[in-house]
Amino acid sequence: MNLNINGKDYQVDADPAMPLLWVLRDVLNMTGTKYGCGVASCGACTVHIDGVAMRTCTLPASALEGKAITTIEGITKGNELSAVQKAWIEHSAPQCGYCQSGMIMAAEALLKENPDPTDKDINKSITNICRCGSYNRVRQAIKTAAKNLGNTEDQLLGSL
Amino acid sequence: MANQKKERSTARKWTRRAFIGVGGLAGVGLVVGVGGYMHISSAVKKYSGKGMGDGNSMNAWVRIAPDNTVTIAVARAEMGQGVTTALPQLVAEELEVDMNSIKVVSPQPESPYSNTFLVTKNRPNAFKGYDLLEKVYAFLPVIATGGSTSVIDAWTNMRFAGATAREMLKTAAAKQWGTSLVNCKAENGYVINTATNDRLSYGELAEAASSIELDELPTLKKKEDFKIVGKPVKRLDSFEKVTGTAEYGIDIRLDGMLYAAIKHPSTIGAKIKSVSNEDTILNMPGVKKVLVLEDGPAAVVADNTWLASKAAQALQVEEEGGDVSISTEGILAQMNDLLKQKPLKITRNDGNVADAFAQEQANTKTIEARYDLPYLAHATMEPMNATVLVKDGKATLWCGHQAASVAHTMVEAVSGIPKKDITVNTTYLGGGFGRRGEPDFVRYATAVAKEMEGTPVQTIFTREEDMKNDMYRPMAASQFKAKISGDGELIAWDNKMVLQSCSNNAMGRIMPSMATAPADDETTAEGADNMPYVIKNQRVAFNDIQLPIQIGYWRSVGYSQNGFFAESFFDECAHAVGKDPYEFRRSKLGNHPRFAAVLDKVAEISNWKTPLPEGKYRGISLVKSYNSIVGEVVEISKQGEKEFKIDKVYAAIDCGNVVNPDIVDTQVQGGIIFGLTAALYGEITWKDGQVVQSNFPNYEMVRMGVCPEIQVHIMDIDEPPGGVGEPGTPPAAPALANALFAATGERIRTLPLNKQGYKFV
Ligand code: FES
Ligand code: FES
Repeated sequence: MNLNINGKDYQVDADPAMPLLWVLRDVLNMTGTKYGCGVASCGACTVHIDGVAMRTCTLPASALEGKAITTIEGITKGNELSAVQKAWIEHSAPQCGYCQSGMIMAAEALLKENPDPTDKDINKSITNICRCGSYNRVRQAIKTAAKNLGNTEDQLLGSL
Repeated sequence: MANQKKERSTARKWTRRAFIGVGGLAGVGLVVGVGGYMHISSAVKKYSGKGMGDGNSMNAWVRIAPDNTVTIAVARAEMGQGVTTALPQLVAEELEVDMNSIKVVSPQPESPYSNTFLVTKNRPNAFKGYDLLEKVYAFLPVIATGGSTSVIDAWTNMRFAGATAREMLKTAAAKQWGTSLVNCKAENGYVINTATNDRLSYGELAEAASSIELDELPTLKKKEDFKIVGKPVKRLDSFEKVTGTAEYGIDIRLDGMLYAAIKHPSTIGAKIKSVSNEDTILNMPGVKKVLVLEDGPAAVVADNTWLASKAAQALQVEEEGGDVSISTEGILAQMNDLLKQKPLKITRNDGNVADAFAQEQANTKTIEARYDLPYLAHATMEPMNATVLVKDGKATLWCGHQAASVAHTMVEAVSGIPKKDITVNTTYLGGGFGRRGEPDFVRYATAVAKEMEGTPVQTIFTREEDMKNDMYRPMAASQFKAKISGDGELIAWDNKMVLQSCSNNAMGRIMPSMATAPADDETTAEGADNMPYVIKNQRVAFNDIQLPIQIGYWRSVGYSQNGFFAESFFDECAHAVGKDPYEFRRSKLGNHPRFAAVLDKVAEISNWKTPLPEGKYRGISLVKSYNSIVGEVVEISKQGEKEFKIDKVYAAIDCGNVVNPDIVDTQVQGGIIFGLTAALYGEITWKDGQVVQSNFPNYEMVRMGVCPEIQVHIMDIDEPPGGVGEPGTPPAAPALANALFAATGERIRTLPLNKQGYKFV
């Protein structure tokens, strides 16, 4: 199958039923996306499919041909962290860190769709599990990222 | 693995054997004298190079490269609690370097890195220097992370590691300049000649400094001079953790590596004897091998994790043995019976409880209550796994383990390869909470790798295998009786509990030589027999229950159940005589000013004395564990019939001196959420010898929408540090249950709440 991941095409030789999570992790050695439950419950395996956050542990990779897949590895542009990642560091969101790739991917997607989410919006769309209990820091980081993204856009508009 | 406590007699036995074991190190043992901190002085240099790899090591913890990079060895597992930031802070403070110049490495599990505080008793004077026993332990590589001990153990050691290195660098500079040491000042990675203003960077001095021997231990800084310790320094591991580049055990990828999935026997105590459909499984493209392991489980080795898991699930196995009679109801009935029996051990007996209850007194009330709590799974976010390569008589392990030395021992035991030929690579841990101190997953991974000699194999438990084969927080029942006077004096308190012994059961697997008899297990009644309250007549006792269920250390161990039991029943006492739960507690803290201060602080920040608006309720609790005192107030609001929202949790913690207040804040928050998750949803039940729960849909977690706002206040106290990873957990459930009582008048005497019809939004 042919998969487009982080803007690059990959020719993958794998069982068509194999979930994207395992294609990423075990076939392509892109281990930033995590396995937590395998039943679409925890969100550790969240990536973007055409910009939408999806849990990939139950999503057959073969169904994703022709779609744009973005993983945590594709969020960082060279050495430049995204606004979400920066906010995550500012608020020391990660504890053990294992859930955080999925959290960040869910937050990136949320902010794309809703640049100024309320607490309710955050509760609704961030349903990932963090066993370490980083939720309040994640919430703050999402708000900071929203603010910073808003500012950049304002600046851009201002400079036009 | 937390709070390991043991009897002296066991320790002595263990010591003697260990001495024989380390034989060749006897000469080193003689160096022990130096101020008690021998492993930072000359003895330790023996290990420096080995522990830190090539380069200019100042000691086992500090290496400095010519480009001024400071490498610090952190021999504690980073499982979210921030050790790879907090421990370097302690070194950097004395070494006089910027936190940004630091690189952290995880060393091999060797004796300098022993967690002395964990293996000796959690006693208050352990900071003051090593007694003989501690000196001995320091030579035994018990490299373990648990019991909220990392900072306690490192508080002095790691600062000495930095200070010693600094003095070596200064001495080297003084030599080079031909000046006296008093003219040399260390500052931000340089030694400065105060007479001439010449400067030499640490990188330039490192080689000369590494061979300098100091005559005495440097003096450590006073608290008021700290620039890095006590400050909210940003975590050093965040960048890796937000970019997906942090490497956990499950992320290890090696050339030619294969993946194995474990299938445990389905019934407790059973062993898989044989596989009847091996041919079918081997016919699945990509499956390499089907194995029945010595210890009970089977494994399938394949090209990838998904296939291995699928194939392992499809195995048709024949099991032998096992106890299908085990059920939660049966255990509960047994516990209820044991509650009535004579106790195995009375751990506290003040005054005369029997007389106090027997005495007729006017204006007193006697109340009784029985509580119980279920088994709980750790459910670390990263399921158990380990990667092992056995090749050419050597073995290599890649694993996120809380006790590298335990893992090391396990690889040796299974592979037959001597420790000196085993390399242990410790990765980040996707959560630990006590689960990753167990050796089972290393054992199976090694057994698989041995069969696959020459090929590295990553062996994992799927979430289902992980949850069904955990070493659970024990189920427990607790019976109380109290006599209270009308004006609020607690005249008598009688408490008896029944549960399996952690330090017997878990240590039997982790470090058998340190397992205690159930009667001597101090974790059983912890939180129940060391309450701070003034109660004239007080008896706490327990009975052991023997079951084939594996139990283990679960974040806050005995405090996790006894904190709930005791602080809930204490609340019952307050309400029985119409007292305010805060005032009632406060009136019994006469001779414990630190407890009183914490309780007052949490009452203050939660505005306890101001009544809440209608529909809002709150509960309070106070528990000391792991040398830290935590008071919590939980505020809830009614949303509907038995439906609540947890609005806010207030916490005050006295953990003595703080290394990183930001990390303390996140740890206390995490601990609270861990406790609330158990209170709301946590329950592992048994039916026909099998665990019922298997994955998050039936073992739910607090998520963002239910997670309350949390405000943590850290007390400013210049005392030796206490733990912070666990102490936030015990007060959470009782404070919530006490709030629910305030709201509904219904006393919560068992958990989880969802099982009793409560809903949280
Ligand atoms: S691993 Fe996919 S949702 Fe948990
Ligand atoms: S940071 Fe550990 S699971 Fe979220």
